[in-house]
Amino acid sequence: MASIEWVKKYRPNALSEIVGNKKAVESLKKWAEEWQNGIPDKKGIILHGQAGIGKTSAAHALASDLGWETIEMNASDQRTASIIEKIAGSASQMSSLTGTSSKRLIILDEADNMHGNADRGGKRAIGNIIKNTDQPILLIANDLYSMTTSIRSLCEVVKFNTIQSRSMIPALKNICVEEDIMCGVGVIEKIAEISGGDLRSAVKDLQAAAIGRSEINVEDVTTAERDTKESIFKVLAKIFKSTDPVAALHATYSLDETPEDLIQWIDENLPIQYQEGKEGIDSDIIQGYRNLSRADIYLGRVKKRQNYRLWRYAGILMTCGTVTAKSHIHRGFVKYQPPSIWRKMGQLRAKRNMRDNVASKIGQHCHKPIQQTRIELIKMYGMMLKDEDYAVNVTTNLKLDVDEIVFLTGGKKVTKKIQKIYDSARLQIEETASSDINVFFKTGKNDKGQMKKQTGFDQIPDNATSNAMIDKIGDTSTPTRQKKKPQKTLFDF
Amino acid sequence: MKEEIWIEKYRPFKLDDVVGQSESIERLKSYVKTGNLPHLLFSGPPGVGKTATAVSIARELYGEGWRENFTELNASDERGIDVVRTKIKSFAKTSPLGDADFKIIFLDEADALTSDAQAALRRTMERYTNNCRFILSCNYSSKIIEPIQSRCAVYRFRPLSDAAVEQRCRYVAEKEGLQIADDGFEAIKYVAQGDMRKAINALQAASMFETTVHRDNIYKITATAHPEDILEILKTALEGKFMPARKKLDVLMTQQGLSGEDVVGQIYRAAFDLDILPKQMVDLMDVIGEIDFRLTEGADERIQLDALLAHFALSGEE
Repeated sequence: MASIEWVKKYRPNALSEIVGNKKAVESLKKWAEEWQNGIPDKKGIILHGQAGIGKTSAAHALASDLGWETIEMNASDQRTASIIEKIAGSASQMSSLTGTSSKRLIILDEADNMHGNADRGGKRAIGNIIKNTDQPILLIANDLYSMTTSIRSLCEVVKFNTIQSRSMIPALKNICVEEDIMCGVGVIEKIAEISGGDLRSAVKDLQAAAIGRSEINVEDVTTAERDTKESIFKVLAKIFKSTDPVAALHATYSLDETPEDLIQWIDENLPIQYQEGKEGIDSDIIQGYRNLSRADIYLGRVKKRQNYRLWRYAGILMTCGTVTAKSHIHRGFVKYQPPSIWRKMGQLRAKRNMRDNVASKIGQHCHKPIQQTRIELIKMYGMMLKDEDYAVNVTTNLKLDVDEIVFLTGGKKVTKKIQKIYDSARLQIEETASSDINVFFKTGKNDKGQMKKQTGFDQIPDNATSNAMIDKIGDTSTPTRQKKKPQKTLFDF
Repeated sequence: MKEEIWIEKYRPFKLDDVVGQSESIERLKSYVKTGNLPHLLFSGPPGVGKTATAVSIARELYGEGWRENFTELNASDERGIDVVRTKIKSFAKTSPLGDADFKIIFLDEADALTSDAQAALRRTMERYTNNCRFILSCNYSSKIIEPIQSRCAVYRFRPLSDAAVEQRCRYVAEKEGLQIADDGFEAIKYVAQGDMRKAINALQAASMFETTVHRDNIYKITATAHPEDILEILKTALEGKFMPARKKLDVLMTQQGLSGEDVVGQIYRAAFDLDILPKQMVDLMDVIGEIDFRLTEGADERIQLDALLAHFALSGEE
């Protein structure tokens, strides 16, 4: 009795078998072809998107299409800087074992999930490896914005979208044919529907329904809906349209949504539903928000005190409170919106990451904690960057990249002026860097990584690029590196 | 045998013994029949049979030696990323014992795992499917990160219906030679609120008094006021009779030694049964919640409960 999982069994072996995401697969192919003909500008590629839509499958399919070997690391492995460097770093610079021409694809799965402590230095190591690699590197992530800007800027970025049910249905039907399973009317459609665009979970559900059967009917599809938006709309309708508060409350019980998420849904839709496009503000909205804000206070108390019992009051105030807030029934259908705050959160996080990156660079330079830098120094550096006398030197000292200059000066995009500042700063950095290298290695500049090993000077950051890299990732944990500067001048003599 | 705790003694051994979740159980039974299992995620409130179901699956799959291929980890004790990378991974890696096809790792309270730890878990789940299956249990499935949900068949466990609680209590009573009076059942259901663990604990405790379980014993042993008494007090207050209501509550609390928080909990439940306007109900709920919160912050229970009754009296007048 082979207990093989269908998800594994039917994992696509070639890119042509990937369901949906045509465009993304094309970009992936293009990137790989560039590798076949030399070394492309962007040596890494990031595949990002929701769970279960074929990112990992695409990576492996690509490798098997092209006959590349793969080396994979994921979050179940510990990924400190040294481990990553040992495994992926050596792989990225040695030629393949089986042949000289074939490439070796390094897959870093769950690249957005580097653990702060247990994976110390991992993010920086990834950046280093992408810069120095001779082999293609592929990063997989759910959340693009939780990766550092410098990693993102080094890589091609490809987004995978959720899979529409109409592309999913043929794939599921295929499996049924292979497995000799008869499906009743609407079974495949229902499974595709409740998967919410997640093909892996659809296949799981299909297998779950098919175990021990040769025929599946709609009633057999009983695995619960994963948290999808289907059911929340029904509950929202109960809250906004009905007059029975207790019925609405009971409807939320079957939702399995935390009150924290539910309140966001209500908050997003309350004004739209009760306003009905009238002038001014409807008094029902005021009453509704009175209850909603009370509900929110309870949520805050739960969070602060970890006293989950208080959730029930939050639940009542947000659902029953919204039901009873209406003085009359609001007719007319207005589409329910998912909380816009969730959409904005990604952008917000990117901005915050940028701010913290910059703050840590400045903080390191000025010997101040990030927290203080954020408040006291960021504005001042912004002013200095606007002043032509300072701009280039500041950029050189902090090793800022263009995006960071844009951020500090409060601009929206890269202007000519910023580009100029950046270019002059680059020039300065390179000048010092090349003079350094000449002092160290009279022979010139071959493979830096190898030389490091030969000379055994890996304690010394032998060139400015690696220094720049360290700073770029915004590592705060290396005050010791500051001390190496005098060491360098010692060698200069 | 009396010393053994009933919730363990009567923990279901077979899937058929798990009550009140028939739909899910039917599907799970067919997994067992074929000997094949996907990763599973059970979500639901406490005391509704999540652990019992997981253990039953293991027993039915492996028979006597089920413990050899079944590991239970309480994620709220061991919740860091290190546990996932060392303990769980090494268990998942090793082959199953005997003629089993795979082992089962049961991660209880998986929502207590940090999200980093959950992220580390996902590939372990996938990579070692030849060796092992995961069963995760949690109270709120939204606390489980999506990539893990996507790898599992999700089963929702609902709070048990009163009928299901009654059915199981009847069974236990029969085995133990106990009589349960009709009002005894009512009391058990009221106290349990869909939580079988609470129901059976109450039953066992009440059985220490006499061989017939009456509601008085149940309420007494679980430090619960009679629901009618609470309802009576609230009604009196709503009629504007603050002083009599306050006196009744006083008697109730001193006689039965109830804690303020217990009483507020019961007032909360009784408020649904009051004959009042929906708007009024919402406002009163807010007051109850406020009082509840103040009590947890260490406020004096008598003063707070008196204030609560005063609110009711005021609300009744309006």
